[in-house]
Amino acid sequence: MRILRACLALILVLAFAAGGAAQAKLKVGFIYVGPIGDYGWTHAHDQARRIVEQKLPVQTMYVESVPEAQVQPFIEKLIQQGARVVFTTSFGFMDGTLEMAKRYPTIIFGHASGFKRHHNMFTYMADFYQVYYLNGLMAGALTRSHKIGYVGAFPIPEVKRHIDAFALGVRAVNPRATVHVRWIFSWFDPAKAKEATEALIAEGADVFAFTEDSPTVIQVAARRNLLSFSHYSPMQRFAPRHVISGQLVHWETIYLDFLAKVLSGRYNAENLADVDYWWLLAEKAVELGGEFGVPINPIFVDRLKAARVQTREFGRISVYDLVNRRLAQMSAKPVKWDPFTGPIRDRNGVLRVPAGKVMTVAELTTMEWAAPGVVGPWPKEPK
Amino acid sequence: MEAVVTWIAETLVRALALGTPLLWAALGEVYAERSGVVNLGVEGMMILGAFAAFAVAQTFGRPEVGLLAAAGVGGLAALLHAFVAVTLRANQYVSGLALTMLGLGLSALLGRRWEGLPLLNTLPEVSGVTFGGVLLAVLLWFVLYHTAWGVALRSAGEAPAAVDAVGINVALVRYLAVVLGGMLAGVGGGFLSVAYRPSWTEGMTAGLGWIAIAIAIFAAWDPLRAVAGAVLFGGLFHLSFRLQTWIPPEPLQLMPFAVTILVLAAAGRGGARRWGGAPEALGLPYSRGEP
Repeated sequence: MRILRACLALILVLAFAAGGAAQAKLKVGFIYVGPIGDYGWTHAHDQARRIVEQKLPVQTMYVESVPEAQVQPFIEKLIQQGARVVFTTSFGFMDGTLEMAKRYPTIIFGHASGFKRHHNMFTYMADFYQVYYLNGLMAGALTRSHKIGYVGAFPIPEVKRHIDAFALGVRAVNPRATVHVRWIFSWFDPAKAKEATEALIAEGADVFAFTEDSPTVIQVAARRNLLSFSHYSPMQRFAPRHVISGQLVHWETIYLDFLAKVLSGRYNAENLADVDYWWLLAEKAVELGGEFGVPINPIFVDRLKAARVQTREFGRISVYDLVNRRLAQMSAKPVKWDPFTGPIRDRNGVLRVPAGKVMTVAELTTMEWAAPGVVGPWPKEPK
Repeated sequence: MEAVVTWIAETLVRALALGTPLLWAALGEVYAERSGVVNLGVEGMMILGAFAAFAVAQTFGRPEVGLLAAAGVGGLAALLHAFVAVTLRANQYVSGLALTMLGLGLSALLGRRWEGLPLLNTLPEVSGVTFGGVLLAVLLWFVLYHTAWGVALRSAGEAPAAVDAVGINVALVRYLAVVLGGMLAGVGGGFLSVAYRPSWTEGMTAGLGWIAIAIAIFAAWDPLRAVAGAVLFGGLFHLSFRLQTWIPPEPLQLMPFAVTILVLAAAGRGGARRWGGAPEALGLPYSRGEP
């Protein structure tokens, strides 16, 4: 009986504490597909959530490791706890989120990486393809074997787009080099990432890039004194003498922008049907580097300055300067240059982007072809 | 010709590297199941071992000490399972699954602070742990088939009432086997974090515990066959990435699992197994007076 009474008192205290603090603040819920400690996708979203809570008068809640098919009850729960805005952060949450947007027309929903919208549901994505191109320029300059390894998660348009952009960068400075791809069919599997890297090492690759949520590829390469690019989170610290650069994300730029507009009344549950954030370097949603604020690991700067290439646009130029010129062009508003500017043929010689054309967002999110220089299996490759 | 030799040598190194953690964990499961206790908590014990080994190795700079800690933590986790399965006589499958979830959750919670830290001193991938694992397999095989302890252990899994009747404590035998199994699984997990990777990441075992259980079963609960199963799987797992140049990756994903099972099952038909099928009392709690 005494325990019961103590419990009751505790519940009351908690209820008051939660209620009192939340009165003035907008409640924002986040649904994550993985654990927040995954050192990748979910970790990055959670970092952004913390920044949002510091910078805006909002209160945040989150649920981690939500199975993709079970997103609806978790959304329901967040709404019951008072969430007025709900972000779902995995492609597989798309249909469940739309379903709930229809059921709760006054709640605002945001879905990352998808393409379905509603009057109260917008979409957002911070994409890396420009950064991968810059990584490719450096990889092409630093490889000695002219073989570059890429460990890919799933053969889907997003990953293919990144590998293609990377390979276009590699070939822009090193027409002899090839990008060897191995697929592991997992977003997180250190053992697979490790053995795939070992397989690529055995075939002579000496620079590595990857899509997987652990620093395995970096560590395996560094043990053999081979170079690599960090992916998603700041992973340069795992191999400070071997990580050249990488891709970093700032989801908070999107969350802050959107929530500020919700707070100011510009966005509400009626006018989101055409709101799609496809944010890149220019919006500062992504960053070049293996560590925040370090676009290129300083120990590689001299080698990149010594590597010189002939370019149509800038004449004879060092790869270091080329990276910085391209970075500046893509960071400008409006963007002055895009890696997927035609003419681009795929590895089979089929013209994919006509001269003078730039790929649209719709084309980028559905692309399946492989860029020249890509070697290895490529499921669903168009003929 | 030289290329072929290089290929074989490279694959063998990979086979031993990934085979090592699988072997240690599989040997542990062989002993636990031989005593009559199924432990589906291998994944949980391995991840706890991986975390303990990393934390200790990181703190004290000694990976070997990390492995000892992993053995201790794995043994403790297994003790929990033994208590539930042997003393409380609860459902072993449920208890084991709970242990897996507990291990994954607890290591994730405790491990947050260790995420992303480098490890200065590491063990080589093919090391004393690898050869120790093979020697251990021979030793465990010898004990199992050629000593009175082995008879008691096997009998506890086949006919616990008979063991009880000759005055051997069935519960004690099962406790010892399960705890030993947990210690070995812990070392297997520890090897992942101080030698194979080497670093700590939440959930880093990513299913290897389940593969170890499968190896124990398809090796017909024989320590020497477990060596073959673990090394074979390790090599094929590596080849499934190496061969992607020539074979589509989708079917290749299944290849290591399919071939390992086929090979071990075919070898099992040779008649070397002295008992037909699984231990008779596997998964059944023992209590005196019940059939």
